[in-house]
Amino acid sequence: MDFLWHQMSEKEKEEVKKQVNSIIDSFSKKLSSIKEKIDEQFIEREKFERDEEGNASEIKKEIMFENAPESNKDFIITEKKRW
Amino acid sequence: MVMNTQERLKIFLEEIEEHNKSGNRINAILEINPNVMEEAKKIDEKIKKGKAGKLAGKIISVKAVINVLGLHASCGSKTLEDYKSSYDATVIEKIKKEDGLIIGIANCDEFACGWSGETSAFGATNNPQALGYVAGGSSSGSCASVSADFCDMSLGTDTGGSIRVPASHCGVVGLKPSYASVSRYGLIDMSMSLDQIGPIAKNVSDTALLFDVIVGKDERDAISLGSKIDIKEIESIPRDIKIGVLDFQIKDSRIQKLIDEKIEEAVKKYKWKVEKIKLDYIDFAVATYFPIVYNEFFSATRKFDGRRFGKRIEEVCGPEVLRRIIGGSEMSKAEHAGRYYHLALKARKLIEDEFKKTFKKFDCIICPTVPRLPHLIGEKISIEEMFQYDALTSPINLSGDCAISIPVGMVDKIPIGMQIICEKFQEQKLFKIARSFERLD
Repeated sequence: MDFLWHQMSEKEKEEVKKQVNSIIDSFSKKLSSIKEKIDEQFIEREKFERDEEGNASEIKKEIMFENAPESNKDFIITEKKRW
Repeated sequence: MVMNTQERLKIFLEEIEEHNKSGNRINAILEINPNVMEEAKKIDEKIKKGKAGKLAGKIISVKAVINVLGLHASCGSKTLEDYKSSYDATVIEKIKKEDGLIIGIANCDEFACGWSGETSAFGATNNPQALGYVAGGSSSGSCASVSADFCDMSLGTDTGGSIRVPASHCGVVGLKPSYASVSRYGLIDMSMSLDQIGPIAKNVSDTALLFDVIVGKDERDAISLGSKIDIKEIESIPRDIKIGVLDFQIKDSRIQKLIDEKIEEAVKKYKWKVEKIKLDYIDFAVATYFPIVYNEFFSATRKFDGRRFGKRIEEVCGPEVLRRIIGGSEMSKAEHAGRYYHLALKARKLIEDEFKKTFKKFDCIICPTVPRLPHLIGEKISIEEMFQYDALTSPINLSGDCAISIPVGMVDKIPIGMQIICEKFQEQKLFKIARSFERLD
C-alpha cells in the first residue's frame, strides 16, 4: 500500500471503503478473543458546565471573517444554498 | 562568544532556507512566522534588562494542529489549507509568556493521521539523519525541524506514538506527557481521549524545560488536571530504581540489543535493579487503539463541512484520513451490537490495569520506541506492517501514563530510540531516569 498523500478517484474511494470493513472486522475478531470480564466504566465529574469568558478581540473577529467562505459585514453566512 | 536570540534566529532561518525546500529537502517547516525577527528583538531587549522568562532565547516550531494566532493551522491538509488561527492555544500563550520564540509551523501527517509523515498534503518530511527515509509521524516536521537544526525545540502531539516514533527515527528526545497534564485547548483534535501535546528537543534538559512551561491545569480544557516538575531535581541520579524490561518479540534483534546494552551500562553504573517482564495485553493494543481512534476522529471531523471555514474534508482529504472517517462511520452504524468501540473501551481498561499493577513493582518499563527501522519515503508496505510502528507506543496512550523516547545509538546509520515509561503524573521520575541514561554518553 502507498501511504503518500494523493488525490483519490471515486474508484479508489470505493476500494478504501471495502478495505476498512475488513480492517475493523479484524480488530473486532481480535478483541472478541479476550475472555476476561470487565465492569462497565463511568466517569463522574463535579461540574458539567463552564462559563465562556471575555470578548473576542477585533483581530480575532477579522481572522474569523477571513477564514469564512461567505460573510457580509456583520456575520458569517453558513447555510445559504447548501441545504 | 554567546549569541543573542536574533543572531541564533538568523542561523536557523539560513538553515531552513538552505535545506527545507531545497538542498536536503527536509520539508519540515510549512510556514515561517512573519513577525519572528521583530519578536526576537523584543526578547533580546528583555534579556538585556534581566526581565526575560524561562524560555528566553529558545526558538520553537509548532505542529500544524496547534493554533498560533495569525499563523496557519492547516493540520497538513487541503481542508484547512487557508485557515488562519484566530487565537493562541493555551500552550502557545504559556510559551509566549515565558519568552519562547515561535519560528514557524511544522509539517505533519494529515490531521495527525499517520505513522510516517507521508500523509501530509504538503509532501512527506524527509529524515534529516537518514535522507530518503521517513521521519516518522505524525509529528514529522516537529522532530525533523529539531533534528535538522531548524530550531531548538518543538511542540508535537502524541495520540498513539506521534511524538515518540518520529523522535526515535530522527534521533531527538520526545515526551508523551500523562493524559490530562497539558492543556489541549487550541489543539485541533484527532482522538480526544488519547491526544496529548508534548515537547521535543535535542536533549532531556530542554525537553523538561519546555514541559515545565506548558504543563498545568487549565479551566478551558474539561479533562485538565495538570502536573508539576522541579527542573533542578532532574540532574540528580535517582537511587534504588527497579527497571522492568519489556519482553516483546522484535524481528530486528539489533534494535533490542542496543537497548539491552544501554540498560546494562546504567544498571552497572547506578546499581539499579532490572528484571524482564511480560505484559499479557500489549498484543491487543493495536486492535484496541484503532477502533477508538476511528470513532473519535469521525466525530471530531464532522465540523469540517466547509460551511464556516475550510473545505469539506471528505472531498479533499487523502486516503489515510478517509480510511479513518469511513472506519468511524461504519463502526458507529454497527455499534448497536457493541462489537467495536464498546469492546475496545473494555480492552483499554484491561491494558490500563495491567500497567497500574506493573508500576506497583517497578519504577519504569523500558523497551524500544519503535520495533522496526523506518521505511523509504514512498515505499509500498502493508497496513499491518504500518500498524507495527505504534505497537509499543500506543499502549501508553491507552493507559494514560507518561513516556519518553531518547536516542541510544544507530542501526544501519539510522537513529534508534529507547522508550522509558512511568506511571501517570510521574514525569519528574521519568526525566530523572532519562537524564541518567543520557549522562552515560
